[in-house]
Amino acid sequence: MNNFLRITLYASCILLGIYSTAFAQDRVLKGTVKDAKGETVPGASVLQKGTTKGASTNLDGNFTITLNGPNPEIVISSIGYATKIIKITNETALVVILQESSSMLNDVVVVGYGTQKKSSITGAISSIGNKDFKDQPVANLAQSIQGKVAGILVSTPSGTPGAGLLVSVRGASNPLYVVDGIPMISESNSSLATSYTTDGTVNGKGQNISSIADINPDDIQSMEILKDASAAAIYGARAANGVVLITTKRGLNGKTEFSFDSYTGMQNVSRKIPFLDSNGFVELQEDARAQDLRKYNQDPTVFGADFDPSVLTNPLPASWRTGVNTNWLNEVFQSAPINNMQISARGGSEKTKFFVSGNYFNQQGIVIENFYKRASFRFNLENKVSDRVTIGTNSSFTYGRTRRSFNDNTYTGVVTNAIGASPLMPVYNPDGSYADYSNYQASWLSDNPVKSAKEIKAFTNNYRFLGSVFAEIALVKDLKFRSSFSTDYSSVLDDQFFSPITSDAVAVSGKALKGSYNSLTWVNENILTLQKTFNEVHSLNLLGGFTAQASQYEKSSVSAQGFPKGSGLSNLSSASTINYAPSDVFGWGLASFLGRANYAYDDKYLLSVSARYDGSSRFAPGNQWGLFPAMSAGWVISKENFLAQSQVLTNLKLRFSYGLSGDQEIGDFQYKSYWKPSRYDGIPGLQPRNTGNLNLTWQRNTMLNAGIDFELYNGKLSGSIEAFKGNRTRLLNQAPLPSTSGFNDYTKNSGNIENSGIEFSLGATPIKTNDFTWASNFNISYIRSKIISLDSDNQLISPYTDLFNTHILKVGEQVGSFYGYKFLGVNTQTGDPMYSDEQQILGKATPDYFGGWSNNFKYKAWDLAVATQFSIGNQVYNLIRATYQTLGYTDGGLDEFNNLQQVYANNATIVNKRWRNPGDVTDIPRASMMTDQYRQASSQFIEDASFLRIRTVSFGYTIKPKSKKSFSSLRLYAEAQNLYTFTKYYGFDPDVSSTGGGSPSTAGIDYAAYPQARTFLFGINFKF
Amino acid sequence: MKIYKIALLFLVLISTISCKKFLDIKSQSEQDEDEVFTTVDGLRNARIGMYSSLQSRDYYGGVYPLLAEAYSDNGSTGGYDVSDLDSIKNRNVIPNNLYIKGISVAIYHSIYTANKILENADKIAGVDETELKNIKGEAYFVRALAEFDLLRMFGQHWDLTSPYGISIKTTTANPTQIIARSSVQATYNQIIDDLKQAESLNIVNKEPFKCQYVSSYAIKALLARVYLYTKDFEKASAYASEVIANSVDFVLLGSSNLDKIYTTKNTKESIFELKFTSQNQSFYNGFTYSRSDALRSDVQFLASENLKTFFESRTNDFRANFVDYVDVDVSIQPDGRTQKYRGEETRDNAAYILRLAEMYLIRAEALGLAGGGLTDLNLIRENRGMAPILIADVPDNAAFAQAIADERRAELNFESSRLFDLARTQTVESVLGASVNPIMPIPLNDIMLGNGIIKQNPGY
Repeated sequence: MNNFLRITLYASCILLGIYSTAFAQDRVLKGTVKDAKGETVPGASVLQKGTTKGASTNLDGNFTITLNGPNPEIVISSIGYATKIIKITNETALVVILQESSSMLNDVVVVGYGTQKKSSITGAISSIGNKDFKDQPVANLAQSIQGKVAGILVSTPSGTPGAGLLVSVRGASNPLYVVDGIPMISESNSSLATSYTTDGTVNGKGQNISSIADINPDDIQSMEILKDASAAAIYGARAANGVVLITTKRGLNGKTEFSFDSYTGMQNVSRKIPFLDSNGFVELQEDARAQDLRKYNQDPTVFGADFDPSVLTNPLPASWRTGVNTNWLNEVFQSAPINNMQISARGGSEKTKFFVSGNYFNQQGIVIENFYKRASFRFNLENKVSDRVTIGTNSSFTYGRTRRSFNDNTYTGVVTNAIGASPLMPVYNPDGSYADYSNYQASWLSDNPVKSAKEIKAFTNNYRFLGSVFAEIALVKDLKFRSSFSTDYSSVLDDQFFSPITSDAVAVSGKALKGSYNSLTWVNENILTLQKTFNEVHSLNLLGGFTAQASQYEKSSVSAQGFPKGSGLSNLSSASTINYAPSDVFGWGLASFLGRANYAYDDKYLLSVSARYDGSSRFAPGNQWGLFPAMSAGWVISKENFLAQSQVLTNLKLRFSYGLSGDQEIGDFQYKSYWKPSRYDGIPGLQPRNTGNLNLTWQRNTMLNAGIDFELYNGKLSGSIEAFKGNRTRLLNQAPLPSTSGFNDYTKNSGNIENSGIEFSLGATPIKTNDFTWASNFNISYIRSKIISLDSDNQLISPYTDLFNTHILKVGEQVGSFYGYKFLGVNTQTGDPMYSDEQQILGKATPDYFGGWSNNFKYKAWDLAVATQFSIGNQVYNLIRATYQTLGYTDGGLDEFNNLQQVYANNATIVNKRWRNPGDVTDIPRASMMTDQYRQASSQFIEDASFLRIRTVSFGYTIKPKSKKSFSSLRLYAEAQNLYTFTKYYGFDPDVSSTGGGSPSTAGIDYAAYPQARTFLFGINFKF
Repeated sequence: MKIYKIALLFLVLISTISCKKFLDIKSQSEQDEDEVFTTVDGLRNARIGMYSSLQSRDYYGGVYPLLAEAYSDNGSTGGYDVSDLDSIKNRNVIPNNLYIKGISVAIYHSIYTANKILENADKIAGVDETELKNIKGEAYFVRALAEFDLLRMFGQHWDLTSPYGISIKTTTANPTQIIARSSVQATYNQIIDDLKQAESLNIVNKEPFKCQYVSSYAIKALLARVYLYTKDFEKASAYASEVIANSVDFVLLGSSNLDKIYTTKNTKESIFELKFTSQNQSFYNGFTYSRSDALRSDVQFLASENLKTFFESRTNDFRANFVDYVDVDVSIQPDGRTQKYRGEETRDNAAYILRLAEMYLIRAEALGLAGGGLTDLNLIRENRGMAPILIADVPDNAAFAQAIADERRAELNFESSRLFDLARTQTVESVLGASVNPIMPIPLNDIMLGNGIIKQNPGY
């Protein structure tokens, strides 16, 4: 390693020597940039051509630049305008008029450790700027890219306030998030489980809260998604699943601009499952008994030799005629307000620029009692110490507080229980106490859903600081050195209390859990950049650097039970017993060397080569280091002579890239065998935790990408087509072990998954006049993740430890394939369901095609935006439907006089389509009390979950006063989010994952996930 | 030229930062396996861990004994209509059942821990000889117990000529190794070898006796049980007698105190039980009782209606009080709940692995009708409040065998015995039904990885 460093060092010294030529004499140029209408253009970039000397215009459009050399040329560019090049002879003041342009070629795109013009990009990078989402507020930044970027599938596993979104880049989940250069911890860090089995063990993942939600979306200037290996490989180690670069807003040179943005709105459940009312519930039961009686009359032994048929004919007991008709979904759902308020200021001078913001976001849950609140502050500052040295900081602090509903996604949750509850059961007894669910008709319940929602309190507080300081030094002409030190500090405190009256804690008179998570990550990055143009046509950009990163985190929690009844106390010191207190410390480190060379010949032929050499503490010495090289090339055909004059095809670029990136995401301390703390008879001891694997090393992801970018009529129509083939080899997998090993599995590099796909995106501005603009963006992607090889084939897997296997990993099949018995329909003569004898592959969770279409209209001061999102060919294993399609089945529930007291659960109205008489053709079997006419582990509950969603419709009006003295602009708007979803899916939402969706191999399970909201809101954007 | 100096300084600085420091990060909350077995304390820690491994949820933490019970005529399953649980009560388990896989891995996990101790104990310097022998003896016992429990659940343990024993693992090397199943005879040989090794190490028992640790009597008691399974009645009765002979540490409590077995720890009825505490809870209560007004869906493992009928025919049997069919929700009826694992607040119910009463019943069965087995049988009956069986009531061996089976059922229900007894006495077909397989399938995962080397049980 030291050799490598030494070489870097020598090389740097040589570079320093080469460029130590004296600077020529300088002169100062001042100017103003305006658009065709005469309005000033702030934030435009002014550069001396062939140098790195530059300035940007302030809010009044003014700039000052120091030029040197004979016959300098300046390049003025700004997003949305055509770039202008002006030769300077002896002017000292200048007015530049920029023409508007739809072309995006000059947009600056953030890439790993730098920026690049869009026109010179050779990898697959999708960029989405503030202008694309600023008028459509969202709670979580990932929503801003939902449906808008080809190849990126953003799904919403849960509607829980503050919940995480699942981002998948070209079929690989959980990309690396880099916020202003800080690689961010993005997983859910709450130790609070919201998903338990009936015996109290944690089961499945429950709902996540997202630590990405700590980033205030209003602070974001742009997001870039590095999709192919060549673009992402500069992040080597953690780039395997793509990289999302998030850049927050910066200060601007000029008068300080204040901005006040606020919205307020209401949320409701977007789709409800229609349930039987009391009459329907009783009618279903009577039919179930009648059907069974018919069976019995045909064959008196059908239900066993000693079956007493009186159970089929005895009148239903009085409890079935309470006259109550509770709609349980209405009881646990509510109309919930949502509010957001942001105030920010940006401004500065030539020397110092700043952006500060404060934000408060408050979202109530559509399930009663839930909420998410976030307060955040940001401070971005940049100061030019001298011509050569710039220092600055980007930092933010976030406080978040959530209350989550207990146990959604699994058996005993609020939503889950509401789904099965009997409509004949009231919420409260006449005396105001909660109705006792065990006295009513449905045995599915584990508690009164309203009681669970109110009496189980689960709060999570989190504190997050993300900050970096940096210095940028122009060592010599064209050579820049940037060093930064960043930290990501996170503290999460969980506080869960089960009141002694809940069924979960009645036996232990209340129980509580307090959890804490503390993590500190620091990163040091040192980057040298050389930018040089030789002979006007050879443009070279070299980058080299060293980075080091380390992370340490501690997770601990304390569980206690037995709280003084009636005292209302829930602090741990009032508990009678502390049950357990796990506490663990984890840590990892990463050291990296990186380099990149970009070469362009006349902006026509583009070549980029990069490499990163990464060492990770997660692998054994000898296997720690991995080299991740990448190359890409581009050919701007439209610059060739035969196309240069074309007024139609104004840009055509072919791109090609190939690269290798790595993955180390296996958790800490896997390569060694460790013994974990355990205890027996009050004595501490140690017990094996894992079986180590010294051979563990980097997962290798190669990706081949070919793309075409085109622009017609200077950007009136533009688009890209990308085709890629990725190969993920040496997968870091949990390879199953034989039982004899004493372990379920171990971490191993094994298996191979091929991701391939085609992405197509198109942007158009069909109409653009002075008054009216229509801009439209469409994208569609086809992505397939196929298993090429596995450590062991046909692995059956399940997201839950106490259900059954729901998925299979099989060579030749897609990741996320469902497994079970095939439902062969309903026998038209008997009304009974039919199933295959053998279990088989039943479908898959991933879509064939997905994408979105958004349209933006502007007429004078009015604006209208409509964004849609679609997904075709994905399926959902609607496990919870087995509860609400039980068709009158009871597995017990008869009292000693053979009266039917309880059945399994209430049913959805879909059972009204059930088979009733011989000859009926339907896919809903007959009702039956005695036999279960459904099978959970079958395709009976695997549904087509293709959908088209109208994601956002926003309508606004902007006032711009003639004189900017009072204020600069005011926009008022109304917006509907998640307005309507077209789908055949029967559950709450087709875009769902009860397992949190963290693992693509067990994706697509719906166990009554928290439904999504439809939101209507009003807001203002006020700049002054 | 100041900038040069700063830049140079910086580059020199970063080159001196050792990458090793970042990259050599060890867990601070666990211990490296290689370091565990370097000191006496480490060996002691591993010994505690070995007991702890027996306590895992899928083994004696609850699932192993209760699932076997739910599959027999003593039990049934509740829960949320989960197919893998339903298939236990319906007795149509499929090889990819999640519970079955969990059991198999958990038991081998105990074997791994025991093997690790046996591989390393002698290499550690400075261990007191008595302590070393004790620890090794405990490890051999744990391995034998685990092997035997595997054989009972996954192997044709009733047929010594059967090739369907278990895969025997006596080393911790090579976790990926696929091990073919030994024959039933070879499996018994392994189990008995381990127990004999344990016996020869002359474990020094704690004073006063502590049944939560492996003792010389636990070894003998397990030998008695194993010999009974192999139908080596002479040895079975001899070992049972050795345990019974210790009338200081082992006493039958009598019907008035019987409930103490299940409500207090470390009674004189217990030869070996796993001790749980409220800081280290077992799953028995959650699985079998949960809370007073639990619904069927809240309780995974129920007592069957059949067990109720069985106790109704047994006049004055105090043990009938351990099953509750009255105070249960209508959704549980006509099934009920066992009351052997009450204590909803503490949930520290012990796992009862070897009890004195079983020794009497083993000896009774081993001696047989002709050998005077009725004496031991009646001793238990009378101790549990019942009238003795008269010699006239058991005219032949078949009647005696039935009396033994009934007594075992009454005594040991919900203590992992019934299913194995039915299989052992080849009465599964007559009691549970013709198509019922007496043993569980080898987990599908092992069959898949086994690639033809690991054979599935007949009928699966």
